[in-house]
Amino acid sequence: MKTLMTADDIRKLLPHRWPFLLLDRIIELKPGSSGTGLKNVTVSEPYFEGHFPTESIMPGVLIIEALAQMTAVVASTGAIEAAKQAGNTDDLDAAGRIGYLVAIRDMKFMKPVVPGDQLELKVSFGRAVGILTMVKVAAYVGKDKVVEGTISVSQRPDSGAEA
Amino acid sequence: MLLTYASVKEQAEKRRELTNRIKAIIVERLSLDIEPELITDDQPLFGRGLGLDSIDALELTVCIEDEFGVTLYDDNMEVLGSINKLADYITENME
Repeated sequence: MKTLMTADDIRKLLPHRWPFLLLDRIIELKPGSSGTGLKNVTVSEPYFEGHFPTESIMPGVLIIEALAQMTAVVASTGAIEAAKQAGNTDDLDAAGRIGYLVAIRDMKFMKPVVPGDQLELKVSFGRAVGILTMVKVAAYVGKDKVVEGTISVSQRPDSGAEA
Repeated sequence: MLLTYASVKEQAEKRRELTNRIKAIIVERLSLDIEPELITDDQPLFGRGLGLDSIDALELTVCIEDEFGVTLYDDNMEVLGSINKLADYITENME
């Protein structure tokens, strides 16, 4: 597994910080189209304190959030690449232009995610209409698919560039 | 061309079948809380009509592609204006 982006690289791209940065590493990336990231789940995650006190299960919504963050990485690297191709060599403020999550659809949770699991977060961009894009997402632990569904994301209405 | 009563009737039935199918798809795929038959053919789908929004438009675009193999583009989104407009577009572009 090749490391394409470290956690430090990801921090430059996303505005999220502890305890809400849920992406440790990028191992596959086609800017603007698809990608795979890793999230290592440890027992020291703050949410395990309450979810649950006697049984640690990663909240499903946070897995969706991790997938959304992976989506943001694919989207913003795509936007940066598009800007470069358009001849814009200025450093883009990628983290300040991150889009929004606008829909979550048909999400299935097949298996609980627990401390020690390594989440493999896969996202693949589908149809786009205007500033909205539909993204197929799935999370794996080893060979097992643990989450699958579709999310829709929006670019910032003021960002102009079509990703 | 002279249209016989039978051929007009057949065309109308085909059209009815298509609009009913579109309504059923919209209601099912967008999980709308309305009976498909209560949607009228010229009722606006967005805003005050059926109350759809841009997020629904994205979903609708994808399911029209899935169901009819017809692609909608950013510059002809007015096709999503009503059931009739959508049916016209699908009929024109299906072959």
